[in-house]
Amino acid sequence: MVALLTLLSALPALAQDAAKEPAYRAFPLIGSRLAVWAIAQLHLNFAAFILGVPIFAVIIEIIGWRTGDAQYDWLSHEFVKLTFAAFSTTALLGALLLFLFIGYYPKFWTYMTSIFFPTYGVYAALFFAETFTVYIWYYGWDWLSGSRKWIHVSLGVLSNVFGTAILLVANSWVTFMISPAGVDESGALKGSVWAAINNFTWMPINIHRLIANIVFGGTIAAAYAAFRFLGAKTDEERARYDWMGYIGNFVALSAFIVLPFAGYYLGREIYAFNQTMGITMMGGFMSWLWIIQAILIGVLFMGSNYYLWLGMERIPGSERYRRYVPMLIGILAFGFMVWATPRSMVITLDEARAMGGTHHPVLGFLGVMSAKNTAVNMMILTTFLSFVLYRRANKVSTKPWVGTGMAIQWAALGLAAAVVIFFGVYGYFVESLVRIGFSVYQVLAVLGAIFVVMAIDIPMFKGARSTGAIRWGTIAPRSQYVLILLAVTFTWLMGLMGFARSGIRQHWHVYGIMRDNSVDAVTPAIGYAANMITVVTIAFFALVLFIFWLGGLGEKGRAEAHGHAAPVIAGGSDRRP
Amino acid sequence: MRLPVAVKVGAFALVVMGTYTYYANSIPQIQSKPPAELSLEGGNVTPAQLVKAGEEIFHTKGTCEICHRIGQKGTRAPDLAGIGARAGKTKPGMSAKQYIIESLLQPGAYLVEGYPNIMPQVDKPPIALNRSEVWALTAFLESQGGNVDVTLDDIPKTAGATAGGAPAEIKIPGDPKAGEVVFSTKGACIACHKAGKIGASPVGPDLSQIAKIQTPDYIMKKILDPAGSGTVAGFPKGVMPPMFGQTLTAKEYVDLVAFLLTLK
Repeated sequence: MVALLTLLSALPALAQDAAKEPAYRAFPLIGSRLAVWAIAQLHLNFAAFILGVPIFAVIIEIIGWRTGDAQYDWLSHEFVKLTFAAFSTTALLGALLLFLFIGYYPKFWTYMTSIFFPTYGVYAALFFAETFTVYIWYYGWDWLSGSRKWIHVSLGVLSNVFGTAILLVANSWVTFMISPAGVDESGALKGSVWAAINNFTWMPINIHRLIANIVFGGTIAAAYAAFRFLGAKTDEERARYDWMGYIGNFVALSAFIVLPFAGYYLGREIYAFNQTMGITMMGGFMSWLWIIQAILIGVLFMGSNYYLWLGMERIPGSERYRRYVPMLIGILAFGFMVWATPRSMVITLDEARAMGGTHHPVLGFLGVMSAKNTAVNMMILTTFLSFVLYRRANKVSTKPWVGTGMAIQWAALGLAAAVVIFFGVYGYFVESLVRIGFSVYQVLAVLGAIFVVMAIDIPMFKGARSTGAIRWGTIAPRSQYVLILLAVTFTWLMGLMGFARSGIRQHWHVYGIMRDNSVDAVTPAIGYAANMITVVTIAFFALVLFIFWLGGLGEKGRAEAHGHAAPVIAGGSDRRP
Repeated sequence: MRLPVAVKVGAFALVVMGTYTYYANSIPQIQSKPPAELSLEGGNVTPAQLVKAGEEIFHTKGTCEICHRIGQKGTRAPDLAGIGARAGKTKPGMSAKQYIIESLLQPGAYLVEGYPNIMPQVDKPPIALNRSEVWALTAFLESQGGNVDVTLDDIPKTAGATAGGAPAEIKIPGDPKAGEVVFSTKGACIACHKAGKIGASPVGPDLSQIAKIQTPDYIMKKILDPAGSGTVAGFPKGVMPPMFGQTLTAKEYVDLVAFLLTLK
């Protein structure tokens, strides 16, 4: 199309008239695609943060309200403070993205408007509602305290309801581009806009993004705490941010454990919408992208576990559980290696002859979904076990049925592992369609084990004898770099998944309906995408640092921001999770 | 000297991202390019040329290889080795080419035992092969152990009618009637091309349905840069004059394009 526009621009007046309503315009220097890519990724990063953090901030506030522990109230306020500072940046980036679409992809935007115009008003109304609610929530922290705390908590809940609704509306646009529904072959809306909204990938992406936003918010908040920990001048400050970092990571890890299941659901719906798209995604030109994804998720699993193990060193009584760590490392490392094993490799002819084909005779078998599903489920179980050990590190149950309870817990974990491995091996002997169904059994076994173990663990350790208080602030500084590693990795992973989501449309703006005729219709290779993702991720963290710094300026000179004294945590409390 | 925390953290983050980026650049780099349109209508195409074009479509735009292999049993779709020979015996009363065409355009009409009904219609988006491409692909599949006897007339006229996924609409402000005059007189296109009722020479491809099988940007570019836009299979290269950009006025050029876009 750019070639066409170039031709037209070389012609005199009449031909120029034809170009007055171009389908595309070229963004200076970097081109339209990179401009949209950068702003969209930045906008999504900020939006994920401001939508994810309030979800767990309000939960923490409720815990503080019901237990009467002011430290949780302080922590919740700290988290909301972070999102509050990023709020206007998110809106600004959203507006910029809209201008880019209107200006540089006018026909595409006109088409999207022809389908989704009724949702624009809803989006705007929700945006206003959320903005006002968050403002009152943040600024009304002191005003709505004491007997009016329930109103304040309700505002927090309400802001999350509005925020999630905004997410659902925006997701309808982006998922329509992937899996259009409710339109005829020419792309015209057949009936109600609801059919276009409720397309194949809308609900899976809603769920996936909602969970991922919580993970993302948790990792960024934990990284912020890590940064403050490393720069802390006093033990008290270190203890405070150690605790904050732990909570952030705990939130991220809890949500992260269920994220792969949401990913499976999304993948299944993509296949249900269009087999070609699904196969192109997993086995076509994007197949190597999933190897990188596996490595990143492997880093997240390893990092999360390592942080928990380091954290156990500051808990008296945790020595009992250290003997399990080598076993946990072994499972995680093996799972990591399996997950990152490619099915086939691009190699020279001589190498292929030496190996007997593009598939390694032994390792090639680890590159298929049966092995990978088994690996990731075992990694999830292992991470959950690390958390359970951390949770009970300084506790000794006094319940008379502790032996039975422990036995059932181990049996549940063992049974889940057996089910996961059984279906993993059995999957090699059945057709692909049957094999895909096995992943459901594996997921259910893992979720079931998590449920059973926690259902026993909570009453079993209620009123448990403490072996000593958690020594907050004494954790090794390298643990804080792990938190930063997790935040950077997850942000980069979000960029990669954004590329995957957009790339599976290939040369279509709206898959199968509106073709991309621009000069950028080529879907770039993974290296090019990685360069772009890194540049945008650097820009994101630079902006975040700047915004947090600006937010901090407002607090300087005020010992108690909004009347919230920073809690004294040194010495810790074994009441916390 | 102690480094500030921000510097240490920043350097650490850059190393992490740099590692991921380096790895991503170290593995195989595969782009996904938009498929080119193939037009064979009106051309004198030999079976060998047709099979070659079909093989190209099989590997690229058709995306057949995602599920099908030739000489290797697939888990998602049948092995296509020898399909040309066995296609005529698969469904009673159907010749090889009829079976293959039906399989491409109505894949669910007959399923090979043991395989799911997952194949998309190849003439519909997102694959969106046009009629020429379905023709060539059929010839290629026939060539796998069978005789290539498929003709363009065997491919239903409706095949690929809505293919292409609505390329961006372009409004050409030219006058088609004036363009027809340009075609017949100053442009002298009529000397080589047929366009509906006018022209008859077989020197260049028949343009009677050019707007149906080609995009506006291809047509516009082809007039100005014939060599750079490729030559239709079966026709000699370098015959079409390259000077229309200089000899036609802008109005004549836009009128001519407007006329060609009426040829459906």
